[in-house]
Amino acid sequence: MLEKTITMHQDLRSIANPARIWPEEGVSRAPYWTYTDPNIYLLEQANIFRGHSWHYLGLEAEVPNSGDYKTTYIGDTSVLMVRSEEGLINGMVNRCAHRGNMVCRDAFGTAESLYCVYHAWSYDLKGNLKNAAFSRGIRGEGGLPKDFDKAQHGLTQLRTQTIGGLVFATFSQEVESLEEWLGDVAYGIKRLLTRPLKVLGYDTQRIHSNWKNYHENPRDSYHANILHTFYGTFGLSRQSQESGMVLDQFGKHSCFYTKAGTEKNDANYQSTTSELRSHNDQLKLEDPSILKWVDEIGDGVSVQILSTYPSFVLHQIANSLATRQLLPKGQGQCDLVWTYFGFADDDEQTTQRRLMQINLAGSAGMISVEDAAVCEMTYRAIADGQVGNSFIEMGGKDLTSGGSSKLSERAIRNFWHNYRQDMHL
Amino acid sequence: MLINEIEHRLIEHLIFEWARRIDENRVEAITELLAPNGRYTVQSRFNADRNLPHCVIDCHSPAQLRDRILSMRIANIYEPHHYRHMISGIQILSKEQKTFEVVSNFTIIRTMELDGQIQIVFTGQAKDQIQIENNQGVFIKRHLIFDSRTIETLLVIPI
Repeated sequence: MLEKTITMHQDLRSIANPARIWPEEGVSRAPYWTYTDPNIYLLEQANIFRGHSWHYLGLEAEVPNSGDYKTTYIGDTSVLMVRSEEGLINGMVNRCAHRGNMVCRDAFGTAESLYCVYHAWSYDLKGNLKNAAFSRGIRGEGGLPKDFDKAQHGLTQLRTQTIGGLVFATFSQEVESLEEWLGDVAYGIKRLLTRPLKVLGYDTQRIHSNWKNYHENPRDSYHANILHTFYGTFGLSRQSQESGMVLDQFGKHSCFYTKAGTEKNDANYQSTTSELRSHNDQLKLEDPSILKWVDEIGDGVSVQILSTYPSFVLHQIANSLATRQLLPKGQGQCDLVWTYFGFADDDEQTTQRRLMQINLAGSAGMISVEDAAVCEMTYRAIADGQVGNSFIEMGGKDLTSGGSSKLSERAIRNFWHNYRQDMHL
Repeated sequence: MLINEIEHRLIEHLIFEWARRIDENRVEAITELLAPNGRYTVQSRFNADRNLPHCVIDCHSPAQLRDRILSMRIANIYEPHHYRHMISGIQILSKEQKTFEVVSNFTIIRTMELDGQIQIVFTGQAKDQIQIENNQGVFIKRHLIFDSRTIETLLVIPI
């Protein structure tokens, strides 16, 4: 104990701008300065968010018609997702090529062209500059130089691709296609998102922690049944359920799944409407109908948490479906934007079931409300981050150890491996 | 629309009573103010303005609300905190037999127990359907619409 105290004390006396050297244990440690150092945050914006990764912008269903746009972010950068005349979706930076003003300031909208209010520069739905006010001046005076080339002054356009109705964009021209980049984890998207989607609504959670505190969370299957005591408290057994994890070949992305009702063999519809039963007669929900789940896909998977590097989650929790977009807001804050959806052809009963199960997750989710609280408590406990590392050895110390077991931190070690590569740390 | 003074007072009392039971940490007791077939929903203005059905809390009965409060007490983990509700602008918009449509404004201030941080976490409008019978008001519908699209950390204590 004393030895530990002295170590911490000595570290605290170290120089004001210490060298950022990763602990020699490698991916089984994450130094706390990665969460708290503002310089690291700036480097993340450049190397990760504007680097060689795909970032979720939204759902195709959010911009159904030509001219529809959504305003969102990749990291700190304000970006637009716009449906063009040809019906394709284009991602672009929401920053006028003239003096940097925000072009669109509504969360959603419809426009014939994208227009900057500051000096009336306007762009087409692909981001090409169409017109700059008074570009030829008046009476031979003022105006832009004669060699001004509109083609050189459009909005910064992003590579944009879709999978299963999800729209992703990247600043990188080098990164492989979205589907290749997702690798084996793409299956989790294709399995779930089989037809056109319908938005049910939004929930944004402001978390006062570093974005990586949250990012590690859906990759962390170890905490699921420990921190989230809703199931256990109400005696809702999950012991008999089959579960597992899939990573892509580079360990960037993870997909966890759990199968409920695998103990049942009935073939009729009722059997797929499985209820997570209570085994505790003393303490149970008065109205467990909230937990009623219909196996829509027919593969028995009742929970799937799919996480892509660095800031996106797709969840299926029973019949509730949502994307979670993690938006860093400085090193000490992040916004988690939940977009809940169903399918365009859902009947009323199915929609009502999805809406009811929104009670389980999100800002006020009874199953997982504690995630944000733990991120904040962790961030405060690691304080200035000058001392200490997190210890990530559950299931082993390297990238492959732990296999597909849920009692493993393998997916977190793989995250840090990719992070270190991007950050040259 | 003719509303007598007693009805007016009963409606005011019901709205204040809901808030006071939460603020005094007697949260379980709000379920007594919801009719047996009553509905309690909390929705962002962002969703309401766009006709999106998503509610962060959606209870179709006092039983579902009791389950949520029990979960808050014994299952959920969060930093201890308290609310203080500020309620203003109670207006009765219509009356149909014993049922009243009522709106009011709310501001909710959250105080964290550990560090004492004080913060406004919700402002918004309550859209209520209230029934008065035997000099007793009860919520048939409590629809709380909060103004910001963002929730600070979490919403675990009902508002």
